[in-house]
Amino acid sequence: MTESTIFLLTFILYIISAFFYLAFLFSKKPGRAKIGSVMAVIGLVLHTAALIVRTVESGHAPFTNMYESLSFLAWASVLAFIIIDKKFGIPRIGPYLMLIAIGLVALASSPLMPKDVTPLVPALQSYWLWLHVSVTLLGEAFFAVAFITSLMYLTAKEPEKKERMDSVSYRCVAVGFPLFTLGGLVFGMVWAYKAWGTYWSWDPKEVWSLITWIVFALYLHTRIVMGWKGKRSAIIAIIGFLAALFTYFGVNYLLAGLHSYA
Amino acid sequence: MKRILKFFTSIKLAIVLLIILAAASILGTLIPQDRSLEEYAARYGTLSTLFVRLQLTGLYHSIWYLTLLGLVALNIIVCTLERLSPKWRRATKPHITADAKSLSALKTNVRIKRSAPLADVQSEVTKLLAGAHYKVRTETQGPRIAVLARKRIGGIFGSDAVHLGLLIILAGGILSGVTSVRENIPLYEGDIKPVLKADFKVRLDKFTTEYYPDGSVKAWKSDLTVLEKKTPVLSKTIAVNHPLTYKGYSFYQTSYGWNWDSPAVEIWAKSKSDPAYLKKMTLKVGDRALLEDKGQTTIAVQRFLPDFVLGESNQPENRSDQPNNPAALIEGFRGAEKVFSGWIFANYPDFAQMHAANDKDKGAETDLAFELKKFEAGQFSVLEAAKDPGANLIWIGCALLMLGLGLAFYWPTWEIKAVLEESQGKTDLVAGGVAAKSREAFGAEFENIAAALRRSK
Ligand code: HEM
Repeated sequence: MTESTIFLLTFILYIISAFFYLAFLFSKKPGRAKIGSVMAVIGLVLHTAALIVRTVESGHAPFTNMYESLSFLAWASVLAFIIIDKKFGIPRIGPYLMLIAIGLVALASSPLMPKDVTPLVPALQSYWLWLHVSVTLLGEAFFAVAFITSLMYLTAKEPEKKERMDSVSYRCVAVGFPLFTLGGLVFGMVWAYKAWGTYWSWDPKEVWSLITWIVFALYLHTRIVMGWKGKRSAIIAIIGFLAALFTYFGVNYLLAGLHSYA
Repeated sequence: MKRILKFFTSIKLAIVLLIILAAASILGTLIPQDRSLEEYAARYGTLSTLFVRLQLTGLYHSIWYLTLLGLVALNIIVCTLERLSPKWRRATKPHITADAKSLSALKTNVRIKRSAPLADVQSEVTKLLAGAHYKVRTETQGPRIAVLARKRIGGIFGSDAVHLGLLIILAGGILSGVTSVRENIPLYEGDIKPVLKADFKVRLDKFTTEYYPDGSVKAWKSDLTVLEKKTPVLSKTIAVNHPLTYKGYSFYQTSYGWNWDSPAVEIWAKSKSDPAYLKKMTLKVGDRALLEDKGQTTIAVQRFLPDFVLGESNQPENRSDQPNNPAALIEGFRGAEKVFSGWIFANYPDFAQMHAANDKDKGAETDLAFELKKFEAGQFSVLEAAKDPGANLIWIGCALLMLGLGLAFYWPTWEIKAVLEESQGKTDLVAGGVAAKSREAFGAEFENIAAALRRSK
């Protein structure tokens, strides 16, 4: 099977998964959420296969252009969701997360994104590409889950559901923050030092990573030291994810800089 | 002084500073940084002088941004130090109290009555807690026994490691800003050049560009040799992502270029009236060569431009050093007299036109046609030599930062306190637990221990 066939199957499975999760949301029958989660897992396995095929065919990491990194972000988000759901049992966020994953996969498949395998420019030929991008995007995937649980916190009515969403948001940030710090900032600096001889050059993408990081540092400090919880925490987590999103997309399209590859 | 210190212990100040820092950083991504005055004038008009004066055009090394970073550092130092000594005391010389009332006020607590003597219950509690990897301390206080059990106490220092890491990173940044040296060294093959402020030299032995089948660049490679007083001591092929490091200096492949002063140009001459005639020759700029044609013409390459454009007054100009539109100016002579001249283009072989050189022949074209087939220019490699003593501090800071995050989030300190008191052969036990992190897992563990205590007779 070719990469595009597997990718299409992944897409279909994610859609089926979202469908069952939605059915669960309306019917409250746990069996439907179960099917949704099984479909998401099968979809993730296929998605992994598609990424592996791509890696083997191109001979380099599967995140060197927009198509590849969108696909990888979708993969990481589904993975983050499956991990969080396994640990905390929150199928309610399933439909929203799967819709985000479907959106990312659809965007990746759109004709706007060139899918050709292109050879790597010299600056990207490094194993730090793997470490830097995969760990960063995995961290951002956990921020994406925190984003959804924070939105659900704001829209939920029952206090016990709110409480749950608040605590899951925090747990997602507690995973995402160290990953983002390691991948985005530490590995980013190490790689920049190896490739260009400067670990930090105030390039817009670097600055926006820093801003994202500061927003989540604010989330942690207001929570731990000032005891903020609930609504205000949820709003900060939402802003943090939007900053991450801007770092990822906005900087490429709206601001110019060194990181113009992907 | 005290008031100032007090001000910097405030975590609210930290929140405000971080918000300002984020906002300022955003501003710096909206205004392009470190461009020329003309560019700012074109972009912002009259506002540009204000921007320059407020240092918004070099924001990240402006006095006020650095001051902001300094305030953050001061805030971290004061805030962390203030909390550190109580924390240290808590870790090393914990206060063991036996206050049943405050224990039962804790969220996680239990009260058990056992019909066993105090000593038995005490050893049982100690054993259970030790079995769950708690470090147990007991203290007899009058008729009561107080128990303090903790595990993973290192976790409380997670945030301190994070903050110390951040301070070291900031210090590294300052050190880099003050002491780092950096220069670009362009080298032709065979060149030997000194390195800024260093007592050794570097020699470029070979420079190669590798291409992918589609023509895009795969790699630039420079074979570099370090010379100590003319003696080679180290050789390495450097490429992007693969620098050479020697005596604290690193050499990076940053760029490359061509020497367009005297490229070797291959030219084919054809005759319009005689299809069988073809003469190939390779010339350098300024060289002349005899064409064995009817008129015994000599030709010369007068100029070569890698990226030909017509300038404002219709004069040929070079747009860049990239060979985007290579062009050569050919001149033809009969004897000493110039008879024609014209530009020929590698990318547009049909575009060439030879013009008569003097007025009396005007309009009459030569019978000869020329094509620019190939050109070869010497390439030079541009290396960046950098010495940045601050970088080591950055890596130490990063390691501490990650260690601290690991401790803060994944090494949760858990604490169980208990008071045991005997009355009429029975023992009354009150216990409570505190966990700043992973409360659910802690609650489950606490419940397990309590259940085990209840079960045993
Ligand atoms: C602006 C100055 C800052 C001050 C005054 C400050 C102060 C504090 C304080 C008082 C704590 C609680 C310590 C404890 O009780 O254990 C804390 C925790 C923490 N701080 Fe900061 N901080 C600052 C900046 C930062 C920054 C920029 C970061 C970047 C990531 C950071 C990361 C952390 C982390 C990860 C924790 C631990 C949070 C947790 O345990 O969940 N801090 N900070």
